[in-house]
Amino acid sequence: MPADDASTLSPPSAWVDTYGDYLYGFAFYRVQDEELARELVQDTLLAALKAKDSFAGRGSEKTWLTGILKHKIIDSLRRKYRDAVFEDQELDERKMHDSFDHNGRWKTGPAQWASDPERLLEQKAFLDIIRKCLLELPERSAHALSLRELEGESTQTICKVLNVTATNVWVILHRARFLMRKCIETKWLE
Amino acid sequence: MINHWTFRCKDVAMLISRSMDEKMPLRIRMGIRFHLMMCSLCRNYKKQLWIIHKAFQKLDSMERSPDRPLRLPDTVRQKLIDLFKDHG
Repeated sequence: MPADDASTLSPPSAWVDTYGDYLYGFAFYRVQDEELARELVQDTLLAALKAKDSFAGRGSEKTWLTGILKHKIIDSLRRKYRDAVFEDQELDERKMHDSFDHNGRWKTGPAQWASDPERLLEQKAFLDIIRKCLLELPERSAHALSLRELEGESTQTICKVLNVTATNVWVILHRARFLMRKCIETKWLE
Repeated sequence: MINHWTFRCKDVAMLISRSMDEKMPLRIRMGIRFHLMMCSLCRNYKKQLWIIHKAFQKLDSMERSPDRPLRLPDTVRQKLIDLFKDHG
């Protein structure tokens, strides 16, 4: 049984069954890479095993493990981008320009996806599309967007982790959202 | 220099995104609002970004539900279980 009453840890041998899928899903949506997500889960559980005596018992076991995983995710992204200088080509500028005429007006405007957005968000098919579209983004854009939307990280933190300037981070987030909505619109309305 | 009362859709799209990440100066916010009043396409755009934001949170909370879509592959699971066998 998971020890959710804080203060005590369940045996490490039970962690994999109790939290494995959860941690894997958590990692996958943040790194968009199955192999890396698997490594991160493994590293997290091993780190937890080493540190189990220092578990302070202030939160639940799950929160504790998730906290370790979050650090591992940020670390791995930082390492990945440390030497990867940002290239403008990553942004797929053309797809953006295609959407506007020479006066900066929408050529084919964004559609209204649903009269009731809350209901739309209940639909599994719609969420599947979101997931697919996220995987189609350029890698760094996807990482920027999930750090921002999932973790609520500040743009300052995202700059450091992804090794981009402050100006670039806004452009990256803008284009990531732009490409997401375009992808969703194409798949959702077809 | 952009005239704030005549933002183009292309500028507004960028500014809507940016205002999700930081607090924008009042004159920019006014400029966006003024444009949105007149432009239903940009209103749609803004709503779309909001939906995407909400959808991310939704996906996140799905990881926590019992019927979450992603499963740790069995090979990895077994490897970890073997590794942890000796630890109680």
